[in-house]
Amino acid sequence: MRTPGAEPIELRDLARELYYPASPLMRPDPLALALSALQRFSSSPAVHRLGLYRPAQRLARAVVREGFRVGTEAGRRFTAARALARPERVGPASPGDLFDLNLTEEQQLARELAQRFANEVLRPAAHDADAACAPPADFYTRLDELALSALAVPSALGGAATEASVVTHALVAEDLARGDAGLAVAALAPLAAAHALSRWGSADQQARYLTPFVEPTPPRAALAICEPRPLFDPTALSTRARADGAGFVLTGEKSLVPLVGGAALFLVAANLEGKGPRVFVVEADAAGLTATREPAMGLRAAGLGRVTFDEVRLPERALLGDAFGSVDFMQLIDLARTATSALTVGVAQAVLDYTIAYANERHAFGEPISHRQAVAFMIADVGVELEGMRLLTWRAAARAEQGLSFHREAFLARALCADKGVEIGTHGVQLLGGHGFIKDHPVERWYRDLMTLSVMEGGLSL
Amino acid sequence: MKILVPLKRVADPDNANKIKIPAGGATIDTTGLEWKPNPFDEYALEAALRLTENGATPKTRGGEVIVVTFGPKECETTLRAALATGADRAIRVDAKDDELDGSIVAKALRAIVDKEKPDAVVMGKQAVDGDSNQIGQMLAQHLGWPQATFAATIEEEDGALLVGREVDGGVITLRVKLPALVTVDLRIVAPTSVYSKQTKRDFKYNDGVRFAALPAIMAAKKKPLAELKLAELVSDTALKVQYSRFEAPPSRKAGIKVKDVAELVTRLKNEAKVI
Repeated sequence: MRTPGAEPIELRDLARELYYPASPLMRPDPLALALSALQRFSSSPAVHRLGLYRPAQRLARAVVREGFRVGTEAGRRFTAARALARPERVGPASPGDLFDLNLTEEQQLARELAQRFANEVLRPAAHDADAACAPPADFYTRLDELALSALAVPSALGGAATEASVVTHALVAEDLARGDAGLAVAALAPLAAAHALSRWGSADQQARYLTPFVEPTPPRAALAICEPRPLFDPTALSTRARADGAGFVLTGEKSLVPLVGGAALFLVAANLEGKGPRVFVVEADAAGLTATREPAMGLRAAGLGRVTFDEVRLPERALLGDAFGSVDFMQLIDLARTATSALTVGVAQAVLDYTIAYANERHAFGEPISHRQAVAFMIADVGVELEGMRLLTWRAAARAEQGLSFHREAFLARALCADKGVEIGTHGVQLLGGHGFIKDHPVERWYRDLMTLSVMEGGLSL
Repeated sequence: MKILVPLKRVADPDNANKIKIPAGGATIDTTGLEWKPNPFDEYALEAALRLTENGATPKTRGGEVIVVTFGPKECETTLRAALATGADRAIRVDAKDDELDGSIVAKALRAIVDKEKPDAVVMGKQAVDGDSNQIGQMLAQHLGWPQATFAATIEEEDGALLVGREVDGGVITLRVKLPALVTVDLRIVAPTSVYSKQTKRDFKYNDGVRFAALPAIMAAKKKPLAELKLAELVSDTALKVQYSRFEAPPSRKAGIKVKDVAELVTRLKNEAKVI
């Protein structure tokens, strides 16, 4: 069993980032020097012998936190630009034929666009973004051309959604992840937040938080669901919220949160005392909120990290939903699972494309290695499993889009994708032999991405 | 400025091995092919969009871009993609692929230009399937317009376009008075290739063809798409170009192994006859 975020903080990575800033938001400063010294100190054998490792780490971490607070998009002001009488929702899509996997023209065009973006922007940037644990400097200007988040915003609020379009979201997620999963997560995290606000947000939340997603520079935002503990189960959250006067007080810790270095808004899953799991809209500059970058094994370009809430006071309006409907928490998890499945399918497709080309070009024993059955069968297995993963994912997305129950389908897709995704990642590395282990080829990155995707929302531990 | 951009869909060059030639070689079997817009036509659309905007505010169109294509109903996907990218309206001339040749398309385009009266026609220098490279030149002749082919740069002036053409050893710059016809080469989508009168000269575009916004794909179906009949535009629809036979390129023969350098030299000399 893998547990998300249970590893100690990778101080070395943090220190390296401070030394070699990946984005102009993070400039080297005297902090870097102090941090480097602290890092050497905390990892020295003497510290371990004296039992000072944990305290030393805590000290280093506290320094890092303060250092990174500067780099966030926190401070973006959210005001209700217009008064909404009631929230805007989009209805379910009309059901298509019983079994028709042909894409609509719009889905086809969206898919071609996402593929082109993946090929021209994401894939060339993937290697460096993985090393830097952050998207490249011009990533957001290129991404904003796509106006991705507006897909989830109802047309009445200036967005593009006239009906639910979960399948289109899944297709775009798959194709972006085929370019690079980490950057795809960075690109899609705000879409996920906008989708949740569109589905469940109150009139005030939509006016305040959802309308900015159609601006030329949409806010960076992310869902915070995972928690750093073994056997994490999204339905049993240890992040707690309690009603306090007119508002709430939020306490707890979230891990594997995308964009912690730059998000202005988090949608945080927490257990509301006496009520059960709920979602809270938390602005990144809330007092008591600390966002700490904590690069994981994969999806590093997404800037994953930890967000802690130390008695964060939230206004009444922070609770997602209102009299017109509160959050269907299981549905939120199921949508997140479907998105993760789609991302897994995209990475697995990248592995398949790459290994086919490699096995046909790479010669050993006087012929292409694809002539060896051990190689050819492995690739065929990847192709078969991948198509199964894709069909389950599309089915979950299609049912979600049509307003049908999709809990079972989302879970099946998630279970298969987590399981087979890791296997496909392993096959990719195996098929490249020695080349599978070095960074000159992307398959080792895809292996790490697939491993990380398998634990999102508590993946395999369920 | 009002610009007409003719587009053609072509078989996806990345899937060219899917093209099949039935026995006899009279036609090409196009079933199962994936279609892409001709790349040079995409460059032409990008150039037309750049000529009708201020680069700093690309969402405000300072002119009109009309895209036109010839073909069956499925070709509307190509037009819809162009509308999503920024074109204002589209025209599809209904025709089967085997009813068309360069001459008919050039004449039909002339009829469309007479009706729409654009200030310029900007089009790809050639389609990457037939590689004929002739419609632009024929259309300019029919219209009696000045033409600048293989454009690498375009700069808008008052009543004229300044067009740079890359030739062996240098660049030729032509000034063509509007209305004019320009066919574009691939350099036209470089960051500093095209400037309208509104775009500041220090503005740099992203390299390549722009990305459509995803919401624009949803909005594209609301933009006007007119359908015309080929017979309404051209009186003589007899094909001037007849394809007599298609054949696949010969498949590569297997190589041979030689024992030593002496044999290699002998074979290069006697069989390959290269030394």
